[in-house]
Amino acid sequence: MTQVAFVVTLVVASALAFWSGWPAADSDEANVAHAAGGEFLIAKSVCDAHALRLRQAEDPDLEIEIPAEFDKRWPSANACESAVKAWDPEAPGPIQPIPFSHKHHAGEFKIDCLYCHAGTDESQAAGVPSVEVCMGCHSQFPAEYDQIEGIRILKEHWAEKKPIEWVQIHRLPEYVQFRHNRHVKAGVQCQTCHGPVEEIDKLYLVPDSHIGYLVPVAKLEMGWCINCHRQNHQQASQDCLICHN
Amino acid sequence: MSELDRRDFLKIVGLSAGAAAAVGCGDPVDKLIPYVIQPEEITPGIAVVYASTCMECPAACGLHVKTREGRPIKLEGNPEHPINQGRLCARGQVGLGRTYHPDRIEGPATRSGDGSLQAVSWDDAKNKLVAKIGSAPQKTWILGGAVGPSLDGLIDQFVTATGIAGRLTYEPFGPHALIEASEAVFGVSAVPVFDISGADLIVDFGADFLDTGPSPAEHAGQFSKTRDLATHSDGGARLISIGPRQNLTASNADYWIATAPGSEGLLALALAKAVSDRLGSNAAGAALAGADISAAIAAAEIERNVFDGLVDKLVSAKHAVVLPPGIASSTTAGAGSAAAVLLLNVVLGAVGSQLKIPATDAKPTSTLKDVTALIAEMKAGNVDCLLIHDLNPVYALPASAGFKEALTKVGLVVSFASLVDETTEVANLLVPDHTAMESWGDASPRPGIRSLVQPTLRPLFDTQALGDTLLSVGRAMGGGVADQLPSGSWKSVVEANWSDTNWRKALARGGVFEPMPTREVTVAASAANLRPSAARLQGSGDLTLVTFPHSYYGDGRGAALPWMQEIPDPVTKLSWNSWAEISFAKAKELDVVFGDVLTIDTGTGSFDVSVFPRGGVREDIVAIPIGQGHTVGHYASMAGDGEPGVARGVNVAAILPTALDEAGGQAYLSTRATVTKTGRFRRLALSQWTDNQRKRGLAPEVSIYDLAQTGGMAHFVAAAQASEAGGEGMGEGEHAEAAAGGHHFEGPPFTFDAANDSHPDQPYRWGMTIDNDKCTGCSACIAACYIENNGTIVGELEAIRHREMTWLRIERYVGDGDDDVRDSSERRPTPDGEILGLNEVRHLPMLCQHCGAAPCESVCPVIATYHSPEGLNAMIYNRCVGTRYCANNCVYKVRRFNYFDYGRLNWPGLLGLMLNPDVTVRGQGVMEKCTFCAQRISAARQPAKDEGREIADGEVVMACQQACPSGAIEFGNVKDTASVAALKAKQGDERSYHALQELNTRSAITYLAQVRREKNEGVH
Repeated sequence: MTQVAFVVTLVVASALAFWSGWPAADSDEANVAHAAGGEFLIAKSVCDAHALRLRQAEDPDLEIEIPAEFDKRWPSANACESAVKAWDPEAPGPIQPIPFSHKHHAGEFKIDCLYCHAGTDESQAAGVPSVEVCMGCHSQFPAEYDQIEGIRILKEHWAEKKPIEWVQIHRLPEYVQFRHNRHVKAGVQCQTCHGPVEEIDKLYLVPDSHIGYLVPVAKLEMGWCINCHRQNHQQASQDCLICHN
Repeated sequence: MSELDRRDFLKIVGLSAGAAAAVGCGDPVDKLIPYVIQPEEITPGIAVVYASTCMECPAACGLHVKTREGRPIKLEGNPEHPINQGRLCARGQVGLGRTYHPDRIEGPATRSGDGSLQAVSWDDAKNKLVAKIGSAPQKTWILGGAVGPSLDGLIDQFVTATGIAGRLTYEPFGPHALIEASEAVFGVSAVPVFDISGADLIVDFGADFLDTGPSPAEHAGQFSKTRDLATHSDGGARLISIGPRQNLTASNADYWIATAPGSEGLLALALAKAVSDRLGSNAAGAALAGADISAAIAAAEIERNVFDGLVDKLVSAKHAVVLPPGIASSTTAGAGSAAAVLLLNVVLGAVGSQLKIPATDAKPTSTLKDVTALIAEMKAGNVDCLLIHDLNPVYALPASAGFKEALTKVGLVVSFASLVDETTEVANLLVPDHTAMESWGDASPRPGIRSLVQPTLRPLFDTQALGDTLLSVGRAMGGGVADQLPSGSWKSVVEANWSDTNWRKALARGGVFEPMPTREVTVAASAANLRPSAARLQGSGDLTLVTFPHSYYGDGRGAALPWMQEIPDPVTKLSWNSWAEISFAKAKELDVVFGDVLTIDTGTGSFDVSVFPRGGVREDIVAIPIGQGHTVGHYASMAGDGEPGVARGVNVAAILPTALDEAGGQAYLSTRATVTKTGRFRRLALSQWTDNQRKRGLAPEVSIYDLAQTGGMAHFVAAAQASEAGGEGMGEGEHAEAAAGGHHFEGPPFTFDAANDSHPDQPYRWGMTIDNDKCTGCSACIAACYIENNGTIVGELEAIRHREMTWLRIERYVGDGDDDVRDSSERRPTPDGEILGLNEVRHLPMLCQHCGAAPCESVCPVIATYHSPEGLNAMIYNRCVGTRYCANNCVYKVRRFNYFDYGRLNWPGLLGLMLNPDVTVRGQGVMEKCTFCAQRISAARQPAKDEGREIADGEVVMACQQACPSGAIEFGNVKDTASVAALKAKQGDERSYHALQELNTRSAITYLAQVRREKNEGVH
């Protein structure tokens, strides 16, 4: 049964990879310029420059022009890519107020989960980083980064001291008293429940279904929790009161 | 289907139903909103505790305010505080609700001509005040309640600086009479402090020190310690309660002497005289010269041998202490009565030990006399601006004083109240103060003890601390006013007043606590001038009107809090309304039964109120609680029930004359009343319909003599046998010959081993030990349970239908009860066991017993309730389908059903912010009950797991246990025989029993039977 689920996941994952093609096909129009030699593409931003260089690498015939002001290393190509993908309307998951990419932060830069989600190992509640934590790093970055829209929005929130209203993705019902700290301390990887966030730009509830009691149990449903608690029954209690009180 | 078992079938059915529902609704979108800047001390999900001070009554108990994510959610006693030593009464527990109350005034407002309120800015409000006060300072008065020393000082400075006419500090229940008595007897104007911790005999002339007295949490703790059987094999102190009505203190007394109302002072003086003569003491000197013993006995309407018995007891006691009459027995000679009690203490040698005189004088406060003088000024048009703070005079002052009418002559009535009340209804300008949870402040209940109030959340509304308002008004007045006021903000004023201390340390500790400096006093010559006299009563009715303070309402301020309305009065078990207590004989004479409406007419005023006949009041009185009858407020009035402006119950101030005692304080016992039947009927919410335990041994009693001789509960069993065999009561020696006869209990009693009721691999079996002997019935545990576990308030109508949602109740029984089946022609049973002058009250805290063989578990069709491996009787709400089989099968009747979505309906305003995030809010159609604070066990498990050890004894503290002022409740792992709970159960082995143990439910709660320290035939 689990194989079926695996296959389903595989199919979904490859379909996603297929759909989320980058750069977007229609971005050409804005970049087209005409010159004596015919059509060529001009970069309008550093991110654009990265994108055009990438296209040129694939298609050597493509003529591009990168103005000096956009011929820069930062923001990096990956940052630009992640920022776009994090707001990709086609990708699964809700649109967040900021195109924040876990792939960029946790995957590429290998920032420890607990650096931003501090307190998750000591509190039942997962620490969602305050705007101040974001700004701890982002205030030190050069101004060029502001051309990424997410960073502009972040700085707006900081300037106005306005909290960011993230859309919750991993949600447990209110009658569940889940303790993050217990799981972190027991060595459960964050990815076990939250999926491979370090590989995902736009976060969503990565499916991880299995069959229990003849019916499929979706992720974060009780059967899914219990499955793990059963497998780790030496440490994990299966008493209802542990989670429900 | 053969492959499927029932469980799988249900699962699939459940899933498809869920899928169908999901199509219709979709998932709600939830937002995660983190901080912009996370405060350093806050980690979401982890509670932060601040020390503060309770401002609900003048006792000023220390608080630990538990906050989550910046919101206070629970109040507990500060263990370091010398007054309450970690405990907290019911009123203190729920005081937190004021902050989130739907009655909160959300910002400054003025009342326009048509009576409606218009919001204004703080600047406008300030300018209005400045202009008014500035135009006529000599016509401006401040009228307020008692406040802490810093605010008190600031208001005084404000009065001086602005040159306004004056300031009255009036507390309806203030200790005026006692100060006046102290002045006369000792020549010092101080509030004597009663310390009963070392006493061996306590005589209460009506102070009701366990419930509505000057410092109930403190006195209940002292009372419990001085009667602790573990340290006092003779049972410790004896308590004699004197008064016409059996109040909570009398319910806990060894003797209750039902004297005629208002005779306390004469009796005290006669006792002082008799004891002085017997001891040959000259301590009181000439002060006792005029005492007339036989006249006092006649006035008190007691037998001579009762008086002699009292004298015997007082003479033989080594450390006797006598407490003065309280509000219910405050006559026009209230100060004289208090003086007589002080003299009795002098004769008994209690002064300096059990009765301490502080070294510093009490700051003079105003009395009703001063207030009536102000009212006269108002009527004469000499008051143009009246600033009212921390007091609700329109409600609390006797209507006969005419305050409300006089207010119409005042140009600008300003109220600083944070919650709407009768006074804010008529005020022209509202400048709301913060609540105690939002502001800085301090309190000093007695010299030596200074307690700090610190804000624990940012103000929820556009309010401003009273201190800051006064400072800003004063500074805006110009003309050198600002120079006479302290600089800085209200907080800096408080800080400056504490500059002689280590501020940070004081904040962390909750204050600075030193022993009270006392002084030596001797009887002054003036002692003979202040004499008690028989009660001078106005009016012509045949009954004396006794208005007594309700356990929870204080002078009426507690009535706004829904928990105070919902938790039944500890004596009558009535909630949500007013009632009139009359004797059974009088009820028969009037031909009324419980709920029939009576008209109470004093000549000064009259109102209609439902009757509650009981055995615990004298035939010549009608007793009505103080504190109800508000016409404003979501809970205090009927507004929350959809009838705004309609009073909930009756306000005794409407019918009380403006009678004064010698000190000028209000004499509450000052009038007769005519009681007539109206023929109407109004149902009251009565949570316990009988005080007859029908010999089921729910709350047995052991005589101290039998405890010493036979090992106690052997007697209890034998007494049950004796009664079955036709024996009478608990007489000494009777049990010995009553060994024969049918055994009341099936199966072997007292041999259950609770430790076997959890999984063999589990180190824990959670259990509780409740010492009924310590329980006073005060109900602090109930309040704690409500707040800790998000208990819902159901309101009067639902309470009448017995749908209250309390997880913990205190059952009150009188005696062992009887076996007779009640005459079915009687309309409905009512508590009828009380007998005047006899006290056989038993208190039994009843909560889920977490049975080892629970009747509820076996009948649940969905296993929503089951036995946890740790021995808890768990209740899983999301699994419950609401069949209610469990409640029907529960022998203790402790399961509560959510007939409505109380959780959503009953948290109006911001009350929902007070909910404990660790506890699920139960929805409609779900059963609930005591969980043994599973969330607290879970919290204690965290550090234990981190450190790889087991939860140590004392790490898990139940909310009820934490609150109990008497320390009656112990909780722990009873599998660990060294745990306090297990030890207590064992220590009290000879008293230990389980409720209804003959049903073999293997309850996890071990009760320790109440101990009868004296034969209860009365004092002889």
